[in-house]
Amino acid sequence: MTGGLNLLIALAMGLNLVALASSRLPSVIRAAATQGMVLGLLPLLLEQEFHWMVGLVSVGTVVVKGFVIPHLLRRALRAANIDREMEPLLGFIPSLLLGAGATIGAVALGGALPLRPEHANSLLVPGAFATVVCGFLLLMGRAKAISQVCGYLILENGIFLFGLLLIRTTPLIVEAGILLDLTVAVFVIGIIVDRIQREFDTLDTRKLTSLKE
Amino acid sequence: MTPGWLLLVAGLGMLIGMVSAFRAKRVWLAATITSAVAALAAAAWVLKAGATWVGRTTLAIGGEPIHLQLDGLSAFFLALLALLGGAGSLYAMAYWTDQQHPVSATSGRAWWNVLLLNMGLVLIVANGLHFLIVWELFTVSAYFLITRERHRREVRAAGWLYLAASHAGTLCLFAFFACLAAHTGNWELGSMRERMELAPLFWLALAGFGLKAGLFPLHIWLPSAHANAPSHVSAILSGVAIKMGIYGLVRFSGWLPVPDLAGWVVAGLGVLSAVLGVAFALGQHDLKRLLAYHSVENIGIILIGLGFAMMAAANGHAAWGQLALAGGLLHVWNHGLFKALLFLGAGSVLHATGTREMSRLGGLWRSMPWTAGLFTLGAVAISGLPPLNGFVSEWLVFLGLFDALSARGATAGAAIPAAVLLGVTGALALACFVKVCGVVFLGLPRSKVAEQAHECGWPMRIPMIVLGTACVAIGLAPVLFWPAIVTASAAWQPFWSETAAPAPLLTLGAFHLVVAALAALAAFALWRRARHNGIRRTGTWDCGYAAPTPRMQYTAGSFAGIITGWFRWILRPERHARIPNEPFPAHAKFEEHTPETVLEHVIEPAGSLVMRVSTAVRRLQHGRLQAYILYLLIGLAALALVALMGGGK
Repeated sequence: MTGGLNLLIALAMGLNLVALASSRLPSVIRAAATQGMVLGLLPLLLEQEFHWMVGLVSVGTVVVKGFVIPHLLRRALRAANIDREMEPLLGFIPSLLLGAGATIGAVALGGALPLRPEHANSLLVPGAFATVVCGFLLLMGRAKAISQVCGYLILENGIFLFGLLLIRTTPLIVEAGILLDLTVAVFVIGIIVDRIQREFDTLDTRKLTSLKE
Repeated sequence: MTPGWLLLVAGLGMLIGMVSAFRAKRVWLAATITSAVAALAAAAWVLKAGATWVGRTTLAIGGEPIHLQLDGLSAFFLALLALLGGAGSLYAMAYWTDQQHPVSATSGRAWWNVLLLNMGLVLIVANGLHFLIVWELFTVSAYFLITRERHRREVRAAGWLYLAASHAGTLCLFAFFACLAAHTGNWELGSMRERMELAPLFWLALAGFGLKAGLFPLHIWLPSAHANAPSHVSAILSGVAIKMGIYGLVRFSGWLPVPDLAGWVVAGLGVLSAVLGVAFALGQHDLKRLLAYHSVENIGIILIGLGFAMMAAANGHAAWGQLALAGGLLHVWNHGLFKALLFLGAGSVLHATGTREMSRLGGLWRSMPWTAGLFTLGAVAISGLPPLNGFVSEWLVFLGLFDALSARGATAGAAIPAAVLLGVTGALALACFVKVCGVVFLGLPRSKVAEQAHECGWPMRIPMIVLGTACVAIGLAPVLFWPAIVTASAAWQPFWSETAAPAPLLTLGAFHLVVAALAALAAFALWRRARHNGIRRTGTWDCGYAAPTPRMQYTAGSFAGIITGWFRWILRPERHARIPNEPFPAHAKFEEHTPETVLEHVIEPAGSLVMRVSTAVRRLQHGRLQAYILYLLIGLAALALVALMGGGK
């Protein structure tokens, strides 16, 4: 079972790098969505006995992260009529290198941390670290609002991975609540993207500095 | 009438004056002077009886019941405030008239009363919270009085500097009173000498009250504020307001225990202030700025007395401490009297000529004999020459220092340099006032305005005469004022209640009377001879130069040039000169002025460093979301690092 778990987490870590390296926005969205779906399956693998609530959350996560959110984002993309991150603050190759470095660092850190025996052999903690850092890299390195939303989604996926460490103690309703928050946040950002586009004729968030003071 | 009723009359008089300042200036004058007389009477009652008046009400301000207390020490300072306040009010009527200053004169009168009232309250409140409130009101009202002529840039700059420095001091006092209240559990003030854990608070008090008192190097605000204020305000600021700092130091070093080093530090700062204050004064060409630096010098003399008294108290209440303290306290009165007299005299010169620049004055003795005579009287007093009051208080400090020499130990070692430097200070002060009187009042007028000067009127002359008389009275009969000093020093240190005047003081009084009688006799003889033989006027010897002009006279700068040269290391005078070297020189010029060294070489560089750093830090806030996230990440990483290193324990 740990083998299957680690395989999925490794897949999620690979998707981080895909998101960091691609310049086309649809593929970034796709990477984030796939990662969300992969992570949505994890609770099923972690739970020893099947519980209908776990199944519900799993299905909900897959549906929301894999279909609803990407759909909302693609719609915003169409409305804004863009599909490329033209001038990132941090280039694609440097992002990729930094992301790879962060992934290696996360694995090393996971080895150094005093974890509980049942988590010692899994990639859960390194995967969570790597995903959070890659989410931050996307947030910091990209100028377009859509890419930043994707960075935010990936960051949330990392937090979700951390949350899995506590799956026995966290009520699943909390997970469900987080999911709802996320959907609403992306929905709102979709609207904001549309408004920014109409007002500034661009989605470059650097232009937002003109709003300060 | 008891002091309580007198103080009530004084307070009401001040309030009536505040209200009537805008419409009825005669009512204002009457109310203010009545209130000054009432306060003086209350102070005299307490000083004479040696009893403490305490007033408590259930009425609360800020949750604290009002608690007033007029003991010997408060009364000692209150007497000075009342005398100078009354004299300044009368002077202001003629000096800062409604005709010349239609807007600032009326509001200035109101602020004047706010200032006097709150200084009086500072002296009598016995509650930490109320002390802070009236202290702040006193500070702020002084700011509005300093900036009467705020259309002038240098006045605004001076006011701003005063406000900033005062608030730095008030901040220390907030910390002081808050820590005190935290330790004692309430805001009530009073003697708590036995609680040794309060001793370190003295350093906060020294910083806060020291800034107000203007001791070196905390004096940065003082010269410009005193020079740019109207002269009656300069007089009250220099005569009383900076003494509030001294009052605070004396009060709380008496009520609270002090650290072992406190006496040494206070005496050391006193010596520093005394010598450097007079050195800076010598470098000034602005009459009022020069007088302001002399305040730093005299605060230094007061602190030498206080510092040695604290050393004596720490040494088992040695008797020489009482002499030093008596000298310091009497110098509070004396400096208040003669400095106010000098500022009023300088105001009279400024009123008549419109300039404070000494190099544009000269020969004013002929046109302004009253002002010149009274100013010279003040100059003799401040230089510490017999038979006037300055000599009495400095003599008492000297006596304390000489007796400390016989005590053996470390204090004796400190007393020798202190006595020597105090002597140097007196000599330098004398040189400085020879320069002032010589340049301003003697010789020939250096400019048109000095030629057209006129004598001031009686409303300006009477306050100066009153102050001059007080100077002479303390000088000729110091023994009469000894009981007041004893009452004040007993409030500071109950062990020192020796009521008999020391023998040297009696001798000194007799000596002063003889000197004064001889001087009067000599003056009379000279006057008779002059009348008998007639006066023949002739040109002074001009080295054979055919056409001397007033511009060839010694200037203020050249007069003091040699002495300021000795202090070049600290004064750092700025000199712009074009020295002629050809046989027929076309152009030559020489300019020298002494900046405020501590301000320009310490405070301003430090301030601009802070500005540069803050501007650089401000660049971090630019509105780019991506970078803000980076800051977050860096912060998180730093926290994680701290936690991993085990720093979180």
